[in-house]
Amino acid sequence: MKTVTIDPITRLEGHGKISIFLDEAGDVENAYLQIPELRGFERFCQGRRAEDMPQITSRICGVCPVAHHFAATKALDAAFNVEPPSASKKLRELMYCGYYIYDHILHFYFLGGPDFVVGPDSPASQRNVLGVIDKAGLEIGKEVIKHRAYGQKITAILGGKATHPVCGLPGGVSKGLNKDEVQEIKDMVKSCTEFAKFTLKLFDDIVLKNKDYVDLIKSDPYSLKTYNMGLVDKHNKVNFYDGMIRVTDQDAKEYLKFDVKDYYKQISEHVEPWSYMKFPYLTGIGWHGLEDGKKSGIYRVGPLGRLNAADGMATPLAEKEYKRMFETFGGKSINSTLAYHWARLIELLYATERAKELADDHEIISTHIKNPVGAPGEGIGVVEAARGTLIHHYKLDKNGLVEKANLIVATTNNAGAITMSVRDAAKGVIKKGKIDDGILNKVEMAFRAYDPCFGCATHTLPGGMPLEVNVYDCNKKLYKSIKRL
Amino acid sequence: MKTVVLGVGNPILKDDGAGIHVIRQLKKYVKDPDVTLDEAMTGGMNLLDMILGYEKAILIDTVKMKGAKTGEVRRFSLRDFPSVHSSNPHDVDLLEAIKLAEKLGETSIPKEIVIVGISVNESQHVFGEQLSEKILKAVPKAVETVLSELKIR
Repeated sequence: MKTVTIDPITRLEGHGKISIFLDEAGDVENAYLQIPELRGFERFCQGRRAEDMPQITSRICGVCPVAHHFAATKALDAAFNVEPPSASKKLRELMYCGYYIYDHILHFYFLGGPDFVVGPDSPASQRNVLGVIDKAGLEIGKEVIKHRAYGQKITAILGGKATHPVCGLPGGVSKGLNKDEVQEIKDMVKSCTEFAKFTLKLFDDIVLKNKDYVDLIKSDPYSLKTYNMGLVDKHNKVNFYDGMIRVTDQDAKEYLKFDVKDYYKQISEHVEPWSYMKFPYLTGIGWHGLEDGKKSGIYRVGPLGRLNAADGMATPLAEKEYKRMFETFGGKSINSTLAYHWARLIELLYATERAKELADDHEIISTHIKNPVGAPGEGIGVVEAARGTLIHHYKLDKNGLVEKANLIVATTNNAGAITMSVRDAAKGVIKKGKIDDGILNKVEMAFRAYDPCFGCATHTLPGGMPLEVNVYDCNKKLYKSIKRL
Repeated sequence: MKTVVLGVGNPILKDDGAGIHVIRQLKKYVKDPDVTLDEAMTGGMNLLDMILGYEKAILIDTVKMKGAKTGEVRRFSLRDFPSVHSSNPHDVDLLEAIKLAEKLGETSIPKEIVIVGISVNESQHVFGEQLSEKILKAVPKAVETVLSELKIR
């Protein structure tokens, strides 16, 4: 294979870029994914008050403000050496469930679902939520909007603001719940559970009962045998807010379980000349290129990574769905990238059930929601963002000002896997130079399954769907380019 | 007329936050109780939520314009754009969100949506709270454009 090095000058600013290189026969020689990296974060944070970090980091990204908010808050708990009261942890987790509810609903109905509900080869103008509603009906559209808004509302009641919460403090939270608010949350959560069940049924009817889709999901170009990573509770069940980081191998055997404070021993980062994005890998296994298999330290995070890395779900309905998914695929681990969509819906159901448990807990209206902080030092915090494991690491000086800040975000954890999935999908669907919108969409589907986030909230207009796919012929000349508008 | 004016952007990504800077300035001039000023560090469905219930919405944002100099300020109608998307795949285009709301029979969509665009040349990927010199100079121009849109001047 010829080595292709893309000059840094061609690194695209502003949105993701997939570059596909064809050989003389018009088949895919290689494909690369490039994602812009925000720069200067550490310097930006230096000298700021530690207590401001949950607000500042929630502005990094317009997508996961709640995840950054709590990763930061948990890092500060550790940095100020304070154990938050039990009630405050429950309040944080309840709010976190609200975030999962709206985030996972948005992904399925607006972003990932249209490929299946409307069809992967259908015209781009219909592969969106409007197409989904044309097919599924207006009433369903109203339910989607209603329950996404419920998720937002739960987050807003607890966090002050839905998009950029202000409640997390080192040692607890700034605001508790009263009985009326708890009742309002319970009512919304109950409806969300029904909607999650409905959505899983919809997935069953539209995707799992369609042999073409099942074949596509199980096909080789969409399979990747990597390690899997996610937070688990003490029974090795999936947990979004807290726990130990567990890594399982391709046969679902536990390879590693560690406290986040050891992340820098267990995770290393590889740098490629063609990408700003770093490629994390398991230190104990090592970097062996963009390859899957047991000898490669690349791992996956996010819904499928989490479900693979755990032994089950901690709530009854989600546990039932979990078992059904693994039975359908014939055991663990599931290596099919497109199964991320199914895993995401099981997590949606879990988030609603877990929210009910927390809202029913008598302690949720406790007013003991903050403990006094100790002396400032160093702290590391972890949460499961909707799209994967998110780590914040701060070092504070004696006055509580930030000296050092390091983040490992979910999409970075998935960098190696996403790149390989895009490459393998391109190799699988592009043959003899035949390329059309439907074929390129099938390459994008490999990317979209991960629900990647470019970690930035820039809003410069007109923007366009921030993904560009360029196909080059064997002379490295641009052969076809698609930009999403 | 019940109007919402939103500065769209990220205040910690340098020039991307220009719209937010404009809103902060506008607070000095706008005292009309029918006019709501707010900062929108978000897009798509969240942005739609923020404009529902108003008769008119004015969004202040950075815009990439062909043939315009950095820092130029122009008034657009929302329909001038093929898409209004934040730079993120996990988000929905504002136009798509509005079409969705229309389809579902939402009756509180503003009748008029205006975008006051500040011309930038490239997306911002470096953290910082300061605006560049040219964009800083554009802020008072954008403030004037919004005030005349509100018929305050």
